[in-house]
Amino acid sequence: MDKKFKIEFDEANVQDSVSYILVTEFDLKPNVLKAEISGDGSGVMILALEGEEAKLEAAEKRLKEAGFNVSITKRIERDEDLCWDCGACVSICPVFCFSHDKDTMKVMLDNSKCIACSSCVNACSVHALSLHL
Amino acid sequence: MSKTYEQINERIRSGKAVVYTAEEVIDLVREKGADKAAEEVDVVTTGTFGAMCSSGAFVNFGHASPAIRMTDIRLNDVQVDGGLAAVDTYIGATATVPGQKAGYGGAHVIEDLIAHKKIHLHASGPGTDCYVRKEIDTWITIDDINDAYLYNPRNCYQNYGVATNTSDRTIYTYMGKLMPRMKNASYSSAGQLSPLLNDPHLETIGMGTKIFLGGGEGYVTWPGTQYKTNVEEVNGVPVGGSRTLALIGDMRQMDAKFIRGLDITGYGVSMAVGVGIPIPVLNKDIIQRCAISDEEIFSDMVDYSQPVDRPAMARYSYAQLRTGKVEYNGKTIRTSSLSSYSGARKVASILKDWIEHKEFTLNQPVMTFPKDVKLNKLQERGC
Ligand code: SF4
Ligand code: SF4
Repeated sequence: MDKKFKIEFDEANVQDSVSYILVTEFDLKPNVLKAEISGDGSGVMILALEGEEAKLEAAEKRLKEAGFNVSITKRIERDEDLCWDCGACVSICPVFCFSHDKDTMKVMLDNSKCIACSSCVNACSVHALSLHL
Repeated sequence: MSKTYEQINERIRSGKAVVYTAEEVIDLVREKGADKAAEEVDVVTTGTFGAMCSSGAFVNFGHASPAIRMTDIRLNDVQVDGGLAAVDTYIGATATVPGQKAGYGGAHVIEDLIAHKKIHLHASGPGTDCYVRKEIDTWITIDDINDAYLYNPRNCYQNYGVATNTSDRTIYTYMGKLMPRMKNASYSSAGQLSPLLNDPHLETIGMGTKIFLGGGEGYVTWPGTQYKTNVEEVNGVPVGGSRTLALIGDMRQMDAKFIRGLDITGYGVSMAVGVGIPIPVLNKDIIQRCAISDEEIFSDMVDYSQPVDRPAMARYSYAQLRTGKVEYNGKTIRTSSLSSYSGARKVASILKDWIEHKEFTLNQPVMTFPKDVKLNKLQERGC
């Protein structure tokens, strides 16, 4: 399974040690979706993590103990019965979660990249999009 | 080589009609040429499925006992027209719940009626000698009222502009959410599938043309409001909003999949309408025009952050727009469609299916539409 962690850190616990802990101690595959680091070394990053559920939970605990502020981020979900494939969301998403299928021209959603910015939610005229854990 | 409506209908009735969608016909004409294609094909079907605000439905509720002349009418709290006869109303697609700008509106009531859902009716009236009652509160469905037909004063816009936003803040428009500093642009036409781009001078489409409307059979009744013809053309089709159609259709035949209530953030309520129009291939010129492709249809981009005077900033083809991005002065602008291309395709293919299965024949228009129309501006005068 995969989960998305939002990790806030400061100069005392720098960014790369996070990935190190996750890979070596918990055998998780991290994928950095978003990272913002300010001049003083503090910042926030959003990681998509792939691995066993128990290990994901253990990793969350371990990072919290290490002083990181960890939260599980939401991801966009779409009610397929409501979506009418208009395409309004396509140009809104900063990380290109939506695209037109070349053959069917339907609007496809790949929420694995979603950084939960919520920008697409109010672009949808039929309320098909919502953020879920 | 030319055909008549009657010859085409004869072929439909005998199950022999050859039908192509406006998308399929592009390659056919490229391969075989218009002469050959015109011999082979009888009908080209078009389709569009996009937001059309100027839509609505006439409804007659039937009389209660004692009877009421309704003047203030609410359907699921949405205020609908109280200016017709005692129990008639017009549900305008953009009608809202009083005091609200958007949310659930007239278009959603229409969608729910078509979906056979229960609708809360609350109405009041003055009470008269002939209509003594002053108030009624009940629930209705499309199955227990009298008439329910869509009458859309303006649908099927022949092309439309591309919208962007040069300002520093996100703006919310009927052309969707437009991000600051031209991060995106939106467009709204089915392009090569769009009915009026395939018969750009309305040679075959006029009053009485039978169409696909919202999943059922409908008719073209009149030129749509804001119909105009004085628009620049490229490749024989206008580069911006031009002709429009007024449409009618029985809601009981419709499918709520093709009539959708829209709640457009910051703008209000609108309705997505699926419309398909068959084009009879009477001669080779007609099929040549049906062969127009997204590469040949253009639209001008304008800045929706300007309240007045929106000059054209750039011109793009629908083929460019559909790639998901366009270039403007060295900058990449991401693009979004606001009308459903896959929906338009579905409409065109259902209509094709009906014709192939002898369920739908073509009507010759009883009146053609004007060739030379300009729009008036609203004048602000003292008296
Ligand atoms: S919430 Fe943001 S990142 Fe996620 S799909 Fe919507 S626009 Fe994209
Ligand atoms: S904006 Fe909503 S309805 Fe339109 S394609 Fe995206 S999810 Fe579907």
